[in-house]
Amino acid sequence: MKILVLGAGAIGGYVGGRLQQAGSDVTFLVRPARQQALQRDGLVIKSKKGDATLKVKTVLGGAEGGPYDIVIVTSKAYDLDSAIEAIAPAVGPNTTVLPLLNGMNHIDRLVATFGAERVVGGLARIGVALSAEGTVLHTSPFAAIAFGERDGSAGRAALVALDEAVKKAGLDGGLHQKIVQDLWDKWIMLATLAAMTTLFRGTVGDILESAEGQAIVLETVEECRKVAAAAGCDPGEKGMANVRGYLTQKGSMFAASMLHDLEKGGMVEADHVVGDMIARARKAGIATPNLRIAHAALQTYLARRARNGLGSLTK
Amino acid sequence: MKILILGAGAVGGYWGARLHQAGADVTFLLREKRAAAVKRDGLVVKSPKGDAVLPVKVITSGAEGAPYDVVILACKAYDLDSAMDAIAPAMGPASTIVPMLNGHAHFATLDGRFGAPRVAGGLARITGMLGPNGEILHSGAQGVSFGERDKAAPRAALVALDELVKKAGMQGGLHPDVEQDLWDKWVLLGTIASMCAAMRGTVGDFVAAEDGVAIVRETLDECCAVAAANGHPIDPKVKAGLDTALTTPGSKQVASILGDIEKGGPVEAKQIVGDMLARARAAKIPAPNLRFAYAHLQAYEARRARGGLK
Repeated sequence: MKILVLGAGAIGGYVGGRLQQAGSDVTFLVRPARQQALQRDGLVIKSKKGDATLKVKTVLGGAEGGPYDIVIVTSKAYDLDSAIEAIAPAVGPNTTVLPLLNGMNHIDRLVATFGAERVVGGLARIGVALSAEGTVLHTSPFAAIAFGERDGSAGRAALVALDEAVKKAGLDGGLHQKIVQDLWDKWIMLATLAAMTTLFRGTVGDILESAEGQAIVLETVEECRKVAAAAGCDPGEKGMANVRGYLTQKGSMFAASMLHDLEKGGMVEADHVVGDMIARARKAGIATPNLRIAHAALQTYLARRARNGLGSLTK
Repeated sequence: MKILILGAGAVGGYWGARLHQAGADVTFLLREKRAAAVKRDGLVVKSPKGDAVLPVKVITSGAEGAPYDVVILACKAYDLDSAMDAIAPAMGPASTIVPMLNGHAHFATLDGRFGAPRVAGGLARITGMLGPNGEILHSGAQGVSFGERDKAAPRAALVALDELVKKAGMQGGLHPDVEQDLWDKWVLLGTIASMCAAMRGTVGDFVAAEDGVAIVRETLDECCAVAAANGHPIDPKVKAGLDTALTTPGSKQVASILGDIEKGGPVEAKQIVGDMLARARAAKIPAPNLRFAYAHLQAYEARRARGGLK
């Protein structure tokens, strides 16, 4: 089975690297600068689960080395258009496209391009970052990916094969029959965490120190839950208790990576993670006052970033 | 008439410098470090209205030269307690305090300590900041407003202060309804501080967000409703002016509280936003946007307290 991984960043690099170590046939679709670095240094992973420096196959265009059985998409949401363009030549009649992005909007866009039958659901739960030198730094005790058919069916042959490869590679998770529910569960958590930690510019612990921080956080989780419920994916009381627990721990240093991106002056997945939740709420007639304010603050950040005003307020 | 000014920052320093230049008998009550710098360098003003280096009178204890006829309080709201201790020895039975603080909460504190008859109303519309060497970097607006809080005929000290303000070429002066003026300023400040802090940008930045104009208008409405509930409705013409200023695309206008946040400094969260929210609650006015803004400022303060800003 031939696997193409779009992007050799944090998630793509870690997942692709582990799969290759376990004997899978993996190729990375990358930009020229990243290709040069990978050819020079190899794919370098630092992890408590074992460091590695791997000689990897890279291509600059999706037409090279294809057709592929599975294309794993690990771009950022704001790069999805160029990602779709890049993988298009790699997608044949029997190719499965497996995105590992946050949120849901990318699935609609992938389906529109490649057709519903080629696109499966997937997500990653890995604490991982790319250093300035291009090293994949895995920091969390866990490293999981989950994937499955979006209609809840058992799973095509390619996914069963990928499940075996994932287990062999020592990754957690694997084939999951309720992947769409899993995507919603993760999105509820992420949308709330990203909206709250960026709106309040602090960790969960900082927010909870304010008089009404906890109330505002819990209202926001509920806004997201209603949107999920309208899509037929209410996480249920147990799932919600789990999310609420994470988001109401006094002194917690938990923050969305979006806050770190924002404080570095970087690009943020504002529309994908928060904006799309609001758009779905509007369609379903659900009020989301808290997400609205958070999204406005993210858009304010993007406006200020666009005018290059992050260093000096009034430049 | 002897005038004591507590503080030589943008407001106290600028106003005091202009009064001094107009021939008023002005003394600055400063902390040791600031006092030493002003004694050494003079009071330095850089301003489009004219630069100046002034050898002003400086004291570090309010007892020196006491009592004073007028005591201008130009501290930040979070320094009010230490400021009151500092001016207490400067006060005589006939002294008048003219506080220039933001918000409204300081009046109850000052009345409690010095008695309402000795506390006039006052506010500044002076834009500027302190430069790295303690110089006052004034950027244009130079208005002050003060008067009797009960709209009574002004006491002699305030009339005399008004003459000096006019002689100094500043805007404003004695105001027949200073309470209303305080509310007008607080409504503007409550709105712009809430928005610039919670959105972390200039007026032009948050107006660029999809719902930015709607959100700032809601916030302005919240503050106007609080003012009305406190017996000081905002004149529709004043409100229209605020609305224009707060919704202008590309505007670089920004509340100084955001500059303080981005420097990691203390903020007047409670006095500018928290107290407005508390008054909204007391009057049963829904104020969701002030609630977000106050939570934002409190989360900032929590993060600052744990040293987690960098």
